[in-house]
Amino acid sequence: MAWDGTLTPMPVNEDFVPKIQVFEPHRASLPPLIPYLKEFWTRRSFALELARFTDKAEYLDSRLGKIWLVLNPLLLGFVYYLVVTIIRPGGKDPGLTRLDHLLIGLFTFYFAQNCVTAGASSITAGGRLILNQAFPRALLPFSSAIQSFQQFLPTIPVYIFVLVVGKWAYPTTIVPGWTWNFLWIPFILICTGLTGFGLALVFATLNVYFRDTNKLLTYITRIWMYLSPVLWLPNTLRGSMKILLYINPLGPVLDATSRVWVSGESLNKLSFYGSIFWALASIMIGGYFFISRERDFAIRI
Amino acid sequence: MPNDLAIRIEELSITYKVSLEAKRTLKNAVMRASLKQKERTRTIEAVKSLTLDVPHGSVLGIVGSNGAGKSTLMRCIAGILSPTEGRVIVNGKISTLLALGVGFNPALSGRDNIILGGLASGLNMDEISDKTDEIAEFAALPDGFIDLPVRTYSSGMYGRLSFAVAVSMTPDILLLDEALSAGDAAFKEKSFERMRQLCAEARTILIVSHALATVTDLCDTAIWMHKGSLVAKGKPEEIVDGYLKFLNVGSLPSSYEDM
Repeated sequence: MAWDGTLTPMPVNEDFVPKIQVFEPHRASLPPLIPYLKEFWTRRSFALELARFTDKAEYLDSRLGKIWLVLNPLLLGFVYYLVVTIIRPGGKDPGLTRLDHLLIGLFTFYFAQNCVTAGASSITAGGRLILNQAFPRALLPFSSAIQSFQQFLPTIPVYIFVLVVGKWAYPTTIVPGWTWNFLWIPFILICTGLTGFGLALVFATLNVYFRDTNKLLTYITRIWMYLSPVLWLPNTLRGSMKILLYINPLGPVLDATSRVWVSGESLNKLSFYGSIFWALASIMIGGYFFISRERDFAIRI
Repeated sequence: MPNDLAIRIEELSITYKVSLEAKRTLKNAVMRASLKQKERTRTIEAVKSLTLDVPHGSVLGIVGSNGAGKSTLMRCIAGILSPTEGRVIVNGKISTLLALGVGFNPALSGRDNIILGGLASGLNMDEISDKTDEIAEFAALPDGFIDLPVRTYSSGMYGRLSFAVAVSMTPDILLLDEALSAGDAAFKEKSFERMRQLCAEARTILIVSHALATVTDLCDTAIWMHKGSLVAKGKPEEIVDGYLKFLNVGSLPSSYEDM
């Protein structure tokens, strides 16, 4: 009954394009990065469509649908504004400038936070896809980052609307006129997105190994927000406390946000280099941590 | 690797550790670290130095009892799991059906899910859009169901759709794990036909199945795995015969012990 080893060679099908793939051992080390990044780039439309479809599914059953995308951050801004003005009534606030700082800080912070929280659960939520198909797993948290960016976009007109109405109701509100410094905005958003995506890679990996990471993450993000210049102004930090702004991955980029959006100023050196440093550090550390372990995910899920 | 081979597996071993903790949590990890305890784990040798060549155009059946390492082997060939030792060389585009319900989001429609599954497997938007209606037709979904959320599907419809997606990708190598259990007799016949068509087009198919008749009907070669090792390979009827005898007797035939 033993096989004699003589299988007749079969003709190769007509549309066959040789595509040799070699799978070799690698556990906590990186796979060949160039093919990985190539595969990642080839399947980018998967990440885009997944973001679009997840967004669609999320609001499918909600009566107000996508209006929540605008309503949610607006209500949050209102709640935090109440908290801040009740805690510090009568502060030196020219009109609604404080609200403007809080709103754009909150919207930017939530963009990063959504990247992290949605990205963190993207691997455990993608169970079947991961068990069934081989593709660069980083596409899943990347898709969450795209979705977070898409959810951030509608908050920009909300911010501008509040700014204009605020100026009309409280003429002392500081509103920057048109300035070329607004060209820093894409830089700020890219740094925020990259930092969020990098951190998402770390938490997504942790979440595969320890399923309570997500629970912890809700507390981490809350503390993170209180330590970020969202509810307070960056220039209120004095002396050694200023370090808080730079050891926080979102500190420099939120400082930059406030400078550009609220005051129409340019970035200072610390916020510029700080934003770049944290974006690159998050991507590199998160990328290494995630990619070196992603072939292990199918066993752990 | 010779051109006529679709898959070459060299001395492949896959070992992994599983935690014996009821739930792996950060809290438990911190508690253990503070008490200087080690995590209780068990090492599973899912595949043990397995060597195998699969020529293009062959249909290989894989039989073996639960825990034989069949699914782990399939996942390694698909590039989902990495080998612990040895290597796997694959030549050709792979399509897989290893877990039913390929990445399907139940809130989305069948059409949206087909698009997502296709994009994940590396097709582009145009290629998939052309295929969605064909897939829906093959899966024999009742009228209009393709645009309804997948959560409204019966389990049969769900299984048929998964199978239809996997076979429609015109893969060079198709990996199927217990996929033919989906659907009724009529659908099973249709799936067999589709697979025969894929064979006629000289595509390579690997089938893991507990339905031994499937293996004898469809495959031209079969292997029998037991506890991670390759026990025998040969003609499907002979392999299935040997495996059935083993199931009845409960011990491996002495002739296999040195394999």
